[in-house]
Amino acid sequence: MSLTVAIVGSGLLGRMLGVQLDRAGYSVSLFDRDQKDGRGSCSYVAAGMLAPTCELDSSEAEIGEMGQRSLRQWPRFLEKLPSKVFFQEQGSLVVAHRLDRGELSLLQGRVRGRIHDESLIRNVSGKELGELEPDLEDRFSEGLFFPREGQVDNRGLLQVLTETILSRGLEWISGVAVDQISPGEISFGGEKRRFDWVVDCRGLGAKTDIPELRGVRGELIRVSAPEVSIRRPVRILHPRYSIYLVPRPENVVVIGATSIESEDLSPISIQSTMELLSAAYAVHPGFAEARVLETIVGCRPSFPDHRPRMYYQQGLMRLNGLYRHGFLIAPWVVEMACHALKQGEPSAEARELGLVF
Amino acid sequence: MRVAVHRPFTIGEVELKSRLLLGTAQYPSPDVMVRAIEASRCEVITVSLRRQNAAGGGGEGFWDIIRGLGLHVLPNTAGCRTVQEAITVANMGRELFDTSWVKLELIGDDYTLQPDPIALIEATKVLAEDGFEVLPYMTEDLVVARRLVDAGCRVLMPWGAPIGSGQGILNPYALRTLRSRLPDMTLLVDAGLGRPSQAAEAMEMGFDGILLNSAVALAQDPVLMAKAFSRAIEAGRQGFEAGLIPSREMGVPSTPTLGTPFWQQQAAGKEEGS
Repeated sequence: MSLTVAIVGSGLLGRMLGVQLDRAGYSVSLFDRDQKDGRGSCSYVAAGMLAPTCELDSSEAEIGEMGQRSLRQWPRFLEKLPSKVFFQEQGSLVVAHRLDRGELSLLQGRVRGRIHDESLIRNVSGKELGELEPDLEDRFSEGLFFPREGQVDNRGLLQVLTETILSRGLEWISGVAVDQISPGEISFGGEKRRFDWVVDCRGLGAKTDIPELRGVRGELIRVSAPEVSIRRPVRILHPRYSIYLVPRPENVVVIGATSIESEDLSPISIQSTMELLSAAYAVHPGFAEARVLETIVGCRPSFPDHRPRMYYQQGLMRLNGLYRHGFLIAPWVVEMACHALKQGEPSAEARELGLVF
Repeated sequence: MRVAVHRPFTIGEVELKSRLLLGTAQYPSPDVMVRAIEASRCEVITVSLRRQNAAGGGGEGFWDIIRGLGLHVLPNTAGCRTVQEAITVANMGRELFDTSWVKLELIGDDYTLQPDPIALIEATKVLAEDGFEVLPYMTEDLVVARRLVDAGCRVLMPWGAPIGSGQGILNPYALRTLRSRLPDMTLLVDAGLGRPSQAAEAMEMGFDGILLNSAVALAQDPVLMAKAFSRAIEAGRQGFEAGLIPSREMGVPSTPTLGTPFWQQQAAGKEEGS
């Protein structure tokens, strides 16, 4: 008989892990306090950036390494899904206006200090920038190009994962909060159930068990911008913020994200709205006539060092605190989790990169 | 007027050993922030409330980390543009951290983040009246400084350069003037420093302390940079207390030539000639 696994929390990580474990022959049950559409998960809010090198601006080298390994795994993971998910690996750009050029060298210095492979980052002139993104020609005199970066459509992926899980016939109890998690057992709604393994993939919901977790508020705006044609994610630097413009199919551009030390989930503030939209407009005047489709707010589940953690004991594995790196590192974290369950201990690789806590 | 050289560094009634005050924004993670603060051995940390939804209690996770450090917290009104806004945020800080201290920051210009001197004086009057120990972030203007003293400030914090610009001391003349005309005030240089040497320079001028954030938080290694600034500030202070020699137009040999045996001079001459 196959081993039974309860996955508590079916955001991005819980869903991906559920699908992988099911493929590997485990009997998987998913539990989530949110609905199956995933709207309550912070992965629903994300921009789906896959920028392991650029992210080193504010992350330690290990996050970059997890991201590089994940980037190689994404195409393989997506290939096996029954429907297509928008995925792109054409690199990403970082630009700054003339007055803020100092920010470019600051970012460059920090990133270069954390990589060994010089081909991951390239200085580009205004002309080269125009060759990569014709719409940005003559708008910036220089920039940085990160050739091995990309993006994945976060919502598209959540939806296809939902379909996959349902069509494979996995048990999925949604809309019910799990009250207690212990090795081999969970309780919810007055009921107790036993499993061979319990895997905690919750976001901020895990705070009751791990008080160190805190939320970092992020706000995004989705716009429809037919007059703007950028092909790859562009990050604009300013002394006080750094904002991504992430182009999606059908003229949609995701503009984000703020980062505020708060667990407040109330709607976006005027100040953040102005910062995000003026950053976009400053990159391309075509945003003036764009239509605001939606503003979204979420809270990134974060540990004090902004690194993810795996807590491992017999019968209970926790995978929490992916911070703003969910899409960036999820495939690798899933691989590490599958390995730990299969081998009965976390891999040396997971320990080396500091995942195991 | 002379600045008393050997005197304790105090804010309000609190005597402090460290002359560095460190900001808590922009670090790669709270963990790095905590390690940088510890490495700096600072005793006062400043915390921005404006964008953290302090009113809703939403930032508890972060506030717990700040409180856990057990240091003096100086809440600041960063990002405020009006007197009323600053007063509201100052009150939030008092409630949240149980302190009467406030770093009063009132921005008058969005690009340079230059403080608005008029609103600053106005808000200081209200807050001082209400029992706050107001530490105003100000330009280097002497007359504004005097008005702030009249309004009840015991500490003044002129900028070195615009916040986060890392340009160092742009107007040494004005800062020296402030120092010499307000010899009894506690004066800190707040904002604009990018290098440890610039902090040392301000301390050599006789400033009582330095408030920093970006230069440490955005460094490649914030923990090491915190240590570097802490030492530079100590060195600058010691230099000031030790009494700097005046600069002179001409060279004065450190070893008196009088009594130098003639054969040494000859040898030196020969070497030069050969």
